[in-house]
Amino acid sequence: MTFEALVYQGLIGLSLAMYLWLLAAGLTIAFGVLGVVNFAHGSLYMLGGYFAFTFYLTLQMNFWLSLLLAAVSGGVIGLIMERFFLRFIYHLDLAYQILLTFGFVLIFADAARIFWGGIPLIPPMPEILDSTVSIVGRPFPVYNLFVIFVGIAVSALLWLLLDKTSWGETVRASASDREMASALGVNIPRLFTVVFSFAAMLAALSGALGTPVRAMTPGIGTSVIIDVFIVTVIGGLGNLPGAFVGALIIGLMKAYGVLLFPDADLFMTYLIMALVLLFRPKGLLGGR
Amino acid sequence: MASKSAFNRRQFLKATAGGVALAAPFIQPAQAQDPIKIGAQGVSSGSHADYGRQIQMGARFAAEDINAKGGIMGRKVEVLYRDDELINDVALKNARFFKAQGVNFMVGTDSSGVCLALGPVLPELDLIQVFTHAATEKLTEDLVFKKGIKHIFRGSVPVYQDAILPALVFKDNKDIKRIANLGADYEYGRTSWAMFHTTLKKFRPDVEIVGETWAPFFTADFTPHISALAAKKPDLIFATPWAGEAVLMLRQATTLGVFNDIRVWWQCMGGSVDVLEGISRDVATGKFKDKLWATARYIWNWPNTPENKAFVGSFSERWGRLPNYSAECTYSAIFALKAAAEKVDSVKTADVIKALEGLELSTPAGKRVYRPEDHQAVYNVPAGRVTYNKEVAPIAYLTDLKVFPASDYFRNPPFN
Amino acid sequence: MKSWTALTKAGLQTRLAAAAGAALAVALLIIPLFGDYVIWLTANMLILALFAVGFNLLFSFTGLLSFGQAAFFAVGGYVCALILLAVPSLLLGVVGGVVAAGVVALIIGFLCVRHTEIYFAMLTLAFGMMIHSIIWKWRAVTGGDDGLVGVPRAPLEIPGLLSIDMADLERYYYFVLLLVVLGIFAIWRVVRSSLGLTLQGIRDSESRVTFIGLSVMKYRLIAFTIAGLASGLAGALMVPLGRSASPAIANWTFSAEPVIATMLGGAFTFAGPIVGSFLFYIIKEIVVIFTGYWMMTLGIIVLAMVLGFRGGVVSVIQRQLLPLLERRRNDLGG
Repeated sequence: MTFEALVYQGLIGLSLAMYLWLLAAGLTIAFGVLGVVNFAHGSLYMLGGYFAFTFYLTLQMNFWLSLLLAAVSGGVIGLIMERFFLRFIYHLDLAYQILLTFGFVLIFADAARIFWGGIPLIPPMPEILDSTVSIVGRPFPVYNLFVIFVGIAVSALLWLLLDKTSWGETVRASASDREMASALGVNIPRLFTVVFSFAAMLAALSGALGTPVRAMTPGIGTSVIIDVFIVTVIGGLGNLPGAFVGALIIGLMKAYGVLLFPDADLFMTYLIMALVLLFRPKGLLGGR
Repeated sequence: MASKSAFNRRQFLKATAGGVALAAPFIQPAQAQDPIKIGAQGVSSGSHADYGRQIQMGARFAAEDINAKGGIMGRKVEVLYRDDELINDVALKNARFFKAQGVNFMVGTDSSGVCLALGPVLPELDLIQVFTHAATEKLTEDLVFKKGIKHIFRGSVPVYQDAILPALVFKDNKDIKRIANLGADYEYGRTSWAMFHTTLKKFRPDVEIVGETWAPFFTADFTPHISALAAKKPDLIFATPWAGEAVLMLRQATTLGVFNDIRVWWQCMGGSVDVLEGISRDVATGKFKDKLWATARYIWNWPNTPENKAFVGSFSERWGRLPNYSAECTYSAIFALKAAAEKVDSVKTADVIKALEGLELSTPAGKRVYRPEDHQAVYNVPAGRVTYNKEVAPIAYLTDLKVFPASDYFRNPPFN
Repeated sequence: MKSWTALTKAGLQTRLAAAAGAALAVALLIIPLFGDYVIWLTANMLILALFAVGFNLLFSFTGLLSFGQAAFFAVGGYVCALILLAVPSLLLGVVGGVVAAGVVALIIGFLCVRHTEIYFAMLTLAFGMMIHSIIWKWRAVTGGDDGLVGVPRAPLEIPGLLSIDMADLERYYYFVLLLVVLGIFAIWRVVRSSLGLTLQGIRDSESRVTFIGLSVMKYRLIAFTIAGLASGLAGALMVPLGRSASPAIANWTFSAEPVIATMLGGAFTFAGPIVGSFLFYIIKEIVVIFTGYWMMTLGIIVLAMVLGFRGGVVSVIQRQLLPLLERRRNDLGG
C-alpha cells in the first residue's frame, strides 16, 4: 500500500462518496422534515439517469442543461408522488407510507422498461470532461473530479440554503417541531411538497451525474437503495452532516476495501453499519 | 374479534373457480393435429431484461419460420414465453405451468443457478429442455454426465468459451506476461478465471498473476477495481462482469486511461449484442485502442455462410436488431428439436432424447453436434477484436477472428 | 349438540366463518385433484401465508414493520437444505431449519428491537441484505449464487414410529399443508394469549406497558424470535419443494412479499395475511398471462390498497359484504 495508491484510491473513493452523498442528502432531508422514508429514492436516481440520457443523447441537448433538466424532472416526479399520493396518508401508520413508496418502486421499474427498454443505456462522454489528469503520477479521470466538485458544490449550496435563508430556517423549524411551525403560520403541506420534490431532485441529480460513466438499466432502482439506507443510518436519519459523513465512510471503504480486503467488499458495508448501530444506535452524528 | 368471518367463503369460491379454470387443459385429450407447444423462459425484468427478450425473439422467430414451411410433421409450432426473473422458484413454477398447458418441449434459461435447479426436475415433468444461455459447466458435466439426467440438453457454448478459448488465443503472444482478473464475484466469474489462468499456465508457465479483484453482482462503479488492477501494470485484464455491467465497466476503464498501458482486455461476453450496442460509440472513437477482445456464444458475423447471412438478415428485418447469441441459440434449439422429432417421427420425450443424442444440425452458427456424452452442443464460435465500421454494421462487431475447433477447448469426459 | 345449537343461534358472521372454514378445509384437501401446477401454486401460497402470518405478528400485533424477514426464511431454508444433503431425514431438516432461524432471529432481533419504527424497518432491511451477502459469498457452504441443488425431498421419518416417503409432490403438499396449519395455529394461540395482549399493549402504548413494569425490549424480542421461527419454518418447507435453495430467498424484495400480502389481505387482522397470500399469487399468475409488466400492475394495486382499501380484502368484506348479507337475511325474515 504505497502513498500514491492511498491518495489515488482515496480520490476514487471520494467521487464514489459524492453519488452516495447526493442520494443520502435527499433521503435524510425528506425524513427529517416529513418523517417519511422513501423506498423509491433509488428509483428516482434511476429515473434521473434515464432522463439525462434522453436529454443528452436522444434530444442532443447540452450536457449541463441535460443534468439540470434531469434533476428538475426528478423533482417533478417527486412532486407528483407527494402531492397526489403521499399527502393523503400522513396521518396513517408509518408502514403505509413506506408501502406506498414501495408501490412506486414497482411501478417505476416497469415504467423504465416500457420507456427505455431493457438494454443498458449509456451516452457518450461529454468531450470537455473526457480526459485525465496526472495525480501522483497516474492518470486520474477528469470526470471523477467533476463529480467531486458537484458534490462539494451541492454541500455548499445546501448549507447556504438551510442555514442562511429564511426558507431554510422554516425547513429546519418544521423538521424539529412540525406543530409549532404550523402554529406559527408555516404552510406545512406546501412545505412538505417542496421539500419532498427537492429531495427527489437531489436523487435524480445523483443518477444524472452518473449517466456518462454508469449504464442505466431498469433494475438499478432496487440495488442502489440499500447503500443509501446504510449511509443514512450510519450518519443518523435526519442528520444532514451525518449523511455526508456516512457517504464518505462508505465511499472510501468501497475504494480502499478493494485494495485491502479484495474478497470482502459488500460484506464490509453491512459490518460497518452493524458496528455503528451497536455502539451509536442513533447513528454517528445522532438522528431523529 | 371479527377475524374469521366470511373471507373463508370467498377464498373457497376463488379456489374452486381457479382450480376449474386451470384444470381445463387436462379435460381435453391431446390430438394429433394440435400444435406442438414449446415453453421458453428467460429473464425479462430488471437489469438483464434484454436477454429474456432475445430468447423470446429467437423462439418466436423459429416458430414463424417453421410454420411458414409447414410446421413439424404437419403440426404448427406455438411458443409460450414466461419471465423467470432469474429466480429458481419462479422458473420451477413456470415449468409446471408449461406442463399443465401441455407443452412438448422447453427452451431457454439465462441463469446458471436456475438451470441447476430446473434440470433435476425435468424427468419428473417428463420434458426435455434445451438450455440456451446458462453457461455453467456443471449443467452438462455434473447433471448430465455424472448424474445421468438425460432430459437436459444445451444448445449454447458453455463457460469453456469464455475461459479456455482466450488461453488458446493469447498463449502465443509473448508480450503477455502479467495477467490480472476483474472478476464478477459469483460462480461464473470464479470458475471462468480459474479455468483461464490454469489453462494459460499450462502453455505458458512464465505468465504471472499480478492482481485479482472481485466485484459483487450489481456493482455500479468499477473504478476502484480497475484502478487497483491498473496500478499493478498488467498486460492482460480478464473481465467477467457482463451485460449492463460490462458496458459501464468498459466506459469507466476508458476514463481511467487503462487502454494506454495494457495490451489486451479480454471481455468474456463482450460479443453480446447489448454490450456491443452500448460500447459502439467508444469503439468508433478509438477509446479501446484496438485492445478490446471478446467472444460470445454466437456472433452474427461468423460463419460467413448463406444460411447465417439469411438468418441475420431476416431476423434484423423482423425485430429491428441484430440477433444476440441467446436469440440464435434458442432459434437453433427449436430447429434441433424439430429435426430430432422428425427423425423418429414422434414428439415423445424418450424418443426425442434418443434422436437428439449425436444429432448433427446445420444452423446459423455453423454445424452443431449434440454430443451424446453430456448432451452439450459442440460448435465453433470465434474470438475477435472489437471494432467499428459503419459500412459493415451499425454497431461494433468482432474482427480479426480467431477460430479454434471447439474440440480444442471444450472439456471432455470424464471431466477431471 | 350444545355447540351445534349455539352455532345455529350464533350471529351471521360466526356461522359464515364456520361454514367457510369447513369449505376452505375441503378445498385445500382436494387441491391435488387439479394437477401438479395447482399443487405447486397452492403449496407456495401456503408457505407465503405462514411467512406473512409471522410477519404480521410483528407488524399488526407488536407494531414493528420488518423488511428483513427473508433473512430468517433463507436461514431456515439453507440449514434445512444442508441437513437434507447430509442426512435424508425431512423431520431433522425442518426442525434444524426452524431452530437455526430462531437463533439468528434472536441475535439480529437483539440488535434491532431497541430501535423503533423507521430505524427498525431500515435495520431489518440492512441485516436481511447482510445475510443475503453472506449466503452469496460463502460459496463453500451455500454454493454461492448457484445455491444448493439436488436437495432430496427426504422421507418423513420418526425412527421406530413411521417413515413416509415424500418424493411424490402430492404427499409433500399435504405435509406442507399440515405444518403450515400447525404454524399458523401456534401463532394464533400466541396472539390470543397474555403474551399477545402484552404485545398489543406495547404496540398501542409503550409507556403504559413500561409503567406496569414489563420490559418492552424483552417482549419485542420474543415476538421477533417467534416471527423468525415462523419464517424459518416457511423457508424449511420451501426448500424440499423445489429441491433447491438459492440466494434469491434472502433478497429484500422477497421480504416485501409478506408485507404486500398482509396489506392486500388486511393488516390488523389475523386472517388478512392468509387471504392476502392467496390473492398475491392468484393476481400475479393471472396478470402474467396478459402482460409481462406484472411489477407495475402489482405496484398499482399496492397504491390503490394503501390509498383506498387499507383494511385489505378482509375489511372490504367485513365492511361492505357482511352488512349486505345481514340486510338480505333480515329482509328475508332471518
